[in-house]
Amino acid sequence: MKNILGIWVNGRWREDAVADNALLLDYLRDGLGLTGTKQGCDGGECGACTVLVDGEPRLACSTLAHSVAGRRVETVESLASDGNLSRLQRAFHEHLGTQCGFCTPGMLMAAEALLRKNPKPDRAAIRAALAGNLCRCTGYVKIIESVEAAANAGVAA
Amino acid sequence: MNAPDRRIAVVKTAKEPHGVGARLPFVDGVEKVTGTARYTADMPAANALVGMLLRSPYAHAELLEVDISEAVATPGVRAVITGDACDMPFGVIPIAQNEFPLARDKVRYIGDPIAAVAAVDEATARLAISRIRLRVRELPAYFTAAAARQPGAVLLHDNKPDNIERQVHNEFGDTQAGFAAAELVREETYECAEVHHAMMEPNAALAAWDNERGHLTLWSVTQVPYYVHLTLARCLKMEAAHIRVIKPFVGGGFGHRTESLNFEVICALLARAANGTVRLLQTREETFLSHRGRPESHIRIKLGLTRDGRLTACDAEVVQRGGAYGGYGLVTILYSGALLNGLYDIPAVKYDGYRVYANTPACGAMRGHGTVNIRFAFESLLDSMAAELGLDPFEVRRRNLLQSPTETINGLIITSYGLPDCLDWVESASGWRERKGKLGRGKGLGMACSHFVSGSAKPVHWSGEPHAVIILKLDFDAAVTILTGASDIGQGSSTIITQVVAEVLGIGYHRIRIVANDSAITPKDNGSYSSRVTFMVGNAAADAAENLKRILVASAARRLKVDESEVVWLGEAAAVSGDPERQIPFAEIAEEALVGTGTLTVKGTFTCPPEFQGGKHRGAAVGSSMGFSYTAQAVEVSVDMDLGTVTVDKVWAAIDCGFALNPMSVEGQVQGAVWMGMGQAISEETVYENGRHMAANLLDYRVPTIVESPDIEVHIVESIDPNGPFGAKEASEGPLSGFMSALAAAVEDATGHRFTALPITPLRVFDALHPRGNKKPPPTAKQGDA
Amino acid sequence: MLPDFRLARPQSAAAAVALRAENPGSRFIAGGTDLLPNIRRGLASPEVLIDLGGVAELRELRADDDKLRIGAGVTLATIAADVRIQQRLPALAQAALAVAGPTHRAAATLCGNLCLDTRCQYYNQSESWRTGNQFCMKLVGDICRVAPKSARCYAAFSGDVAPALLVLGATVELLGPQGVRRLPLAEFYRDDGMDWLALGKDEMLYAVEVPLADGWLSTYDKIRIRGAVDFPPVGVAIALRREGEALAELRSACTGASSRPELIDGLEPLVGKPLDEAGLALLDKRLLKCTQPMETTVVPVPYRRRVMPVLARKLLRNLWQG
Repeated sequence: MKNILGIWVNGRWREDAVADNALLLDYLRDGLGLTGTKQGCDGGECGACTVLVDGEPRLACSTLAHSVAGRRVETVESLASDGNLSRLQRAFHEHLGTQCGFCTPGMLMAAEALLRKNPKPDRAAIRAALAGNLCRCTGYVKIIESVEAAANAGVAA
Repeated sequence: MNAPDRRIAVVKTAKEPHGVGARLPFVDGVEKVTGTARYTADMPAANALVGMLLRSPYAHAELLEVDISEAVATPGVRAVITGDACDMPFGVIPIAQNEFPLARDKVRYIGDPIAAVAAVDEATARLAISRIRLRVRELPAYFTAAAARQPGAVLLHDNKPDNIERQVHNEFGDTQAGFAAAELVREETYECAEVHHAMMEPNAALAAWDNERGHLTLWSVTQVPYYVHLTLARCLKMEAAHIRVIKPFVGGGFGHRTESLNFEVICALLARAANGTVRLLQTREETFLSHRGRPESHIRIKLGLTRDGRLTACDAEVVQRGGAYGGYGLVTILYSGALLNGLYDIPAVKYDGYRVYANTPACGAMRGHGTVNIRFAFESLLDSMAAELGLDPFEVRRRNLLQSPTETINGLIITSYGLPDCLDWVESASGWRERKGKLGRGKGLGMACSHFVSGSAKPVHWSGEPHAVIILKLDFDAAVTILTGASDIGQGSSTIITQVVAEVLGIGYHRIRIVANDSAITPKDNGSYSSRVTFMVGNAAADAAENLKRILVASAARRLKVDESEVVWLGEAAAVSGDPERQIPFAEIAEEALVGTGTLTVKGTFTCPPEFQGGKHRGAAVGSSMGFSYTAQAVEVSVDMDLGTVTVDKVWAAIDCGFALNPMSVEGQVQGAVWMGMGQAISEETVYENGRHMAANLLDYRVPTIVESPDIEVHIVESIDPNGPFGAKEASEGPLSGFMSALAAAVEDATGHRFTALPITPLRVFDALHPRGNKKPPPTAKQGDA
Repeated sequence: MLPDFRLARPQSAAAAVALRAENPGSRFIAGGTDLLPNIRRGLASPEVLIDLGGVAELRELRADDDKLRIGAGVTLATIAADVRIQQRLPALAQAALAVAGPTHRAAATLCGNLCLDTRCQYYNQSESWRTGNQFCMKLVGDICRVAPKSARCYAAFSGDVAPALLVLGATVELLGPQGVRRLPLAEFYRDDGMDWLALGKDEMLYAVEVPLADGWLSTYDKIRIRGAVDFPPVGVAIALRREGEALAELRSACTGASSRPELIDGLEPLVGKPLDEAGLALLDKRLLKCTQPMETTVVPVPYRRRVMPVLARKLLRNLWQG
């Protein structure tokens, strides 16, 4: 059964007919073509689908689309502005915080939520904030360095 | 990190830093951080049907009947296929092809695909799958190598007696004499649990069947698109010319995707059966069931040492539970023996290897292919014996170094060897001399060494072609387009190739584009496995760039109206020798180069000379390579003496990668490899109960999280290999295999217990620290190394 | 894509309870971090999901004179970050922080963690996995796979927060069509993997009340294979009150070791005197007596049984020594 979902996605108000059983992940990927948000597991185990809902990190694979009606959803596609990479995107790119890139969107969104609350996190805070996001390429070392570099880069471009 | 901020100045005219040796971001990094990178599951295909598999619930059974009538009759179902759809077995090794995309006659593990459905949506596909009826006769099933080898065991494959897929027996040098000459001989057994790649992107394929032309296009997550291409041609009985294979962005592989996998062929079969486009997404559970990881291994190893720590002989026996199909298996068991050599100078090595079929998902290639578990055993025993002799772990290794260049007793040719420098740095950086054995109860340091090939010197399909081909295209736009079949799966191969081309031509990054992995466009490549791409494709890229440069220099000479010898090549321009004002920009040179010929395509190739392709013995090709990477690493741990939990506090790893074409990328590869070794060492293992995977998810298969992952400091040693591109060798597999024994040594330093089974879980540590039936608290004093 | 269901989004708890009563095939959903992966695996097949996300009253968190009242819909992240809870009820803050990862905790709620479905390695698997294994009694099948001869299901309760609240003496408020009833948290649970909650079919967990009594110290920790994400193979909460050199009151509770979170009884002999080895030994004994870890996870039983008292001792000693 479909109902109209009114929702902010990446700064735009949308009204779409969305099935009751649609996950936020299904809505973003299949409904809106925002395939930056990834599915890496069978539900809630890897963090690859992390998006922001009203600024808080959420697992899009464990969230019903209608349950976030009226709220502000942000995906990796929204991070760059005016064609410029965000400070986190730039840092992950320039410091090799991304290798295969599959965990990267979720990692970036979890890190974005962290930096909005805590602009100068120490390593323990970075580890705590990214604890639910698995990466299989980097050993996390350069991910931590990337978040630090972004924090040191100051306000987003 | 010592890797210098080497914004190298070889290229004088470029506006931005580039070329080899620079810490460049990945050429495809922007796509990854903006979410615009499209992986297979992201490919737009609005009309695609949903593919789904029925997998065997039986570990071993004769398939008497697969009744699909109800499934076929389900509204919305467009195709249902079974083993009847393909009677051609496939497998990566031409002499060991014994797997069908969909089981015929027999199923051999829980998860073996039996039937597949293409339907208009997921719910319909699921319904149809649930309506397929099976009639089987169950057979005895074997879940360990020992059980499968028992006399009278039912054979998984009729042509393999005792369920032994491949046995290897060889001896180089005289081990009997070696042990006789030894002053200390010890033998120990080691057990390693099976581990899995767990790359972050689950398996997926998209197949489009063009019924008008009889053409097939497949997008898949593969590391080796050309194997997939050949396998599709074979299994679908199509001409290869009618098939196009495209590798989009791939979310890691680590060896899982080195072989063609059944779901790729099934997706294509479904598309053809449905006359349409089929998307086949695999769940994480199914991705685990496709396995191809590192086998459960039982290792017995005996070493001989002189009193001063010189190795006199090595005798090793390795038994691997290979799983249900051949896959890469025979290569894995050969690797385990071959790379006993090449790290240290050992005068005599005897090796007996057994690769055994069992009713579990097939094992295959995984980062450090075949060399990881044997290295754990070897380094562990060497450590224990050194302690008995009162030798420091660094010292015993230094006494057994190779003298490069050299040829090992099994015919491996070593042309560069930076291990001594690696040892020196790790010893110093870790504060080894001051800290080893002195960190107090519950804290410890350990170290180990390892190595790996830079590409197999003999490819799987020995067709007489070069090992690698690169094409450069120069056109009216004065842009240089690199066409490569090398699969960037996140390791950064496209970046490395681009850097090599930029270096040789001296042109700006902005002028270069790289197009990778579309069989209709890019040259065939042998694929991303055995750490071959940097070495082989890097050399081919340099060759192609040199070939293009020659044409460009000649063109510049014509336009400048001087002799070629008078042209000073500036990359983005060319000038006349002694008259720097007389110069023309690149665009003009390109324009001249196209006169009378039009678009230029220039090729470069690389071929491994036969002398590097291994000795004369059977299986000698495996392990042979033109260059070996070397790693030394030290691991510092804390052990919770109450709970048994091991925490890795810090790792120091030094790698001899020949030359760091991109130091940042080398660091990333080493960190990833060391860390993956940590997962195998402390938390990862597949678990089967009666053949049923109990941990086919990312909760129970415990890939380490960021919380318990340590800082990993990397030091790069540049031995400048004579054959590598600019001296480069591999950097991403060798560092893995040293980790486990370094950790075991550190845990011994912390607790007094030497663990010989992986993973070293809290359970195992707890049991050792709190022996059953003994209420006494664990010993407070260290038991020492002996 | 999940199987089909209808979604209702009531704006009040009363409306939610009414919807529940009207739809026998319905389930409440709050954060969704437990239920939605379970639905995906076919472990639950609700016809209607009643989303409690729109019910503002469930998100109230307020301290009265001598107690803290936490609405069922308060997130674990909120609980873990609440300074009052960190200071007065540290076991609760630690337990909330120990759940899964930060992204789960941002969505996961108190009621979700208290009502967490019991877990078992034979149950938390895909439909095809369980079909191939011929199911288990918790869903569809006849026998308990961890205790095939048993008449009951041994799936383990694996929430982190419940043991903390048990030692803190919490009470639950259950809202049904007839209004609110209160139960000590310990009475909210039953030792049955299939029927582990004393929650009526038309009731919802509405709020939790925790006494803010002076002088109590408390703590929670769990065994971990990894530093995050994992459910507790076993977890232990301890609360105590000290009077001078004597232990005046002591409570301990476990999770992951039975089908319900277990409040450990029989600890009275430890009270009224300083903590000593005999007391610790009795704690060991009572823990093992009161819990029954079974092969519900890939972490084996012997380790969980043997390490649980070690963890409890460690926590108790640390609390005692301040």
